[in-house]
Amino acid sequence: QEDGYTRLLRQQVEQVFREHRLVAVCQYNSLPGEDVVLMRHYLRKHGIEVKFILNEIIRPFLSQSKYKNLLPLFVGRNVLLVSQDTKVKDMLRVLKGVPQINLLGACIDDTILSRQGVENFAKLPSLEAAQGQTAGALALLPSQTSSLLQRGPAHLTALLDQHILQLQAGQAGTPPETPPAQSSG
Amino acid sequence: MCVHRAAQADALSAADPVVRVCNHDCRRRKFLACIYHKRIQSTNRNCEITADVRHDGSEPLVDVMFADGERLLMKGANLTTIEMLTALGSRCNAKELKEEQKSKKKSP
Repeated sequence: QEDGYTRLLRQQVEQVFREHRLVAVCQYNSLPGEDVVLMRHYLRKHGIEVKFILNEIIRPFLSQSKYKNLLPLFVGRNVLLVSQDTKVKDMLRVLKGVPQINLLGACIDDTILSRQGVENFAKLPSLEAAQGQTAGALALLPSQTSSLLQRGPAHLTALLDQHILQLQAGQAGTPPETPPAQSSG
Repeated sequence: MCVHRAAQADALSAADPVVRVCNHDCRRRKFLACIYHKRIQSTNRNCEITADVRHDGSEPLVDVMFADGERLLMKGANLTTIEMLTALGSRCNAKELKEEQKSKKKSP
């Protein structure tokens, strides 16, 4: 029967997965204390928290939850990087400077991603940029239809204008015609 | 235990290990954790350790490039952490011994 402290820690783990959109699992290798403080500081600037979790607490929780595919990652010493946003690019930038922390995988918006998946996710444009690109692509087709429909009448108009100019040029070159004589009667 | 075995061998002298870790590979991860230990790191500050994390089912391996151009490649999912550390340690020890003998020959 688990004791109260274990139950509390398990509830904290459940809360982490419930309240955070980004939960990244990293292998924690030996790091000097001041480097840990610096890393936590730089991650905190981007709203990312560092949580040290015991495997004995998290493994039972994961095995009974929808995140059971994360189980193989929890071997040895691990650390969770959690955030309520999905600032993956900033997280990867900070982790680049800390070789002792190796990203293994992540769960972003209830989707489990491998390390490569996380890197691909970081390369995606922001939501606003994606919406703008979609709106631009959708607007392109109707704009082409409009110009296609206008092309025929515009061509006809141009031809008629040219015809008028030619007629005017022809009339200017020839002498004026004498009006036909009117019959008296 | 694995830290003690690695430290005994004065490991990582003139070595740059690249460790490829697969999803389920706990032995490579333990090896990585051992060589990142501060006692091991202190034996060679110039050593660069690279972890290559993959989830594509590829074979886990440890690729160590020594300063003299020699390469130690440990492949296979069945190698234990102790075996890998012992192999690396014995290779490093042999190189140290050779260096010592060379320097003894040079100085009479």
